[in-house]
Amino acid sequence: MKYTPWLVAILILSAGFSVAQGPPITADKPIMLGEGSFTARSLVEIRNTERGSFAYVPFMLNYLPSANIELGVDIPYLDYDIENGISGSTLADIKINGKYQFFRKDATGKTFRMVAKTVQTLPTGKDLDLMELSTGKYAGYYGVVAGYETLKYGISNEFGYNWMPDGTMDELRYKLGFGLPLLKPQYPNKQLNLFFEYTNSWLLERDWYQLLYAQGIQYARKSTTFDLAVQVPLVNDFEAGRKMRYSLLFGSRITF
Amino acid sequence: MRFNRNKINMMKKTIITTLVIGMMTVFAANAQKGMDKFMVQVDGLGCPFCAYGLEKKFKEFKGIKDVKIDIETGDFSFAYPAEKELTMAAVEQQVEKAGYTPITSKIERANGKIEESAAAALSENNTGTVTKNLMVAGNCGMCEARISKAAKSVAGVSEISWDKGNKMMKVSFDAGTTSLSEIEMAIAKAGHDTKNHTAEIGTYDGLPACCHYERIAK
Repeated sequence: MKYTPWLVAILILSAGFSVAQGPPITADKPIMLGEGSFTARSLVEIRNTERGSFAYVPFMLNYLPSANIELGVDIPYLDYDIENGISGSTLADIKINGKYQFFRKDATGKTFRMVAKTVQTLPTGKDLDLMELSTGKYAGYYGVVAGYETLKYGISNEFGYNWMPDGTMDELRYKLGFGLPLLKPQYPNKQLNLFFEYTNSWLLERDWYQLLYAQGIQYARKSTTFDLAVQVPLVNDFEAGRKMRYSLLFGSRITF
Repeated sequence: MRFNRNKINMMKKTIITTLVIGMMTVFAANAQKGMDKFMVQVDGLGCPFCAYGLEKKFKEFKGIKDVKIDIETGDFSFAYPAEKELTMAAVEQQVEKAGYTPITSKIERANGKIEESAAAALSENNTGTVTKNLMVAGNCGMCEARISKAAKSVAGVSEISWDKGNKMMKVSFDAGTTSLSEIEMAIAKAGHDTKNHTAEIGTYDGLPACCHYERIAK
């Protein structure tokens, strides 16, 4: 963890201008939009690494059986092109996720919420050793998402552990997301938001560490959002030949 | 002859149009008469998406009309057919199901009867210090000073702060000595509109130019 001072400095600097609105792009949120509602979403990721290029196209559907429980499934498709290796298209690892909101503190125009989160990754994808996209192995992620959201500012945090039976991708993860609303909060909803999101990922067994920064923009209108983000590594302590260059993410979501 | 026929046709059309408009007005007035009005103050609306979630949940009440949400103050209001006899408990439960917290509720029934939630009644009748948030219109530092002075002039008020950014006032007062309504009246008398009380035009006009805020529509 030789990068800890680096990381702390970035987080403190970010907090200096942090104001957040709307659902984050690469991070997660603790706010749930009411019992009985569905959210359909896709967030395409074009990931470019020293090892090759990958296009991840998921279809995600979430449902809230009650105001504090969310269930969801991600069905992803993957196109891969590994340099000096194989290429092709396949179904990637299907993910089943659940969230339970166990703490809520509301006040006028603001809310603080905490949710427990799990993501069960099913081994439906090809074994490409591709973190979070396609490993062909079972994994269980357990974490907590906490967020403080007001009409002026807000912060979204996620801390969790991804467990794999063979330990090869056991990962400690921390995400932090900030947003900057460019328009005055209004209802009916019309928003243009900038996002500044950080993902820390530490693969314990491999002793690989990565700090990613995503710069995103989001347009939200009524029940729909359109998201666009570019993610680049700030710290890339991965094995040579496996380092990430960048990711381009784009997608939309609709709640109904 | 042709001219007369045209004139008669014109007159017929005018009469029919007038009748239709008249009938529509009467129907609309009756329909409005048959509607209960609900006002709920909701906490936890931290973003416009939250307001969408709230409205969506209430759309499950078939026949709901005139839904209005002010995300800055948390004021949520709507009209609902009186014959369906929607209760305050059902409204508060629906807010909870949407994932938010109902603070105070008020119903103006079509027959003129007014119902207020236990929390609202409690805050009116209780003794001891209570803290409330309220929207107060204003623009600048001078407005802030005037609003604070007016609120502090009411006996029982212990603390007051006003944010010129979101126009929200936070006031602490002894509920046994005064009420939020009295504080609002004092502020309106000083020239600033509040959620429930409007300043008189003469007082508003007398404010310095920099204090001419956008008035709260009633």
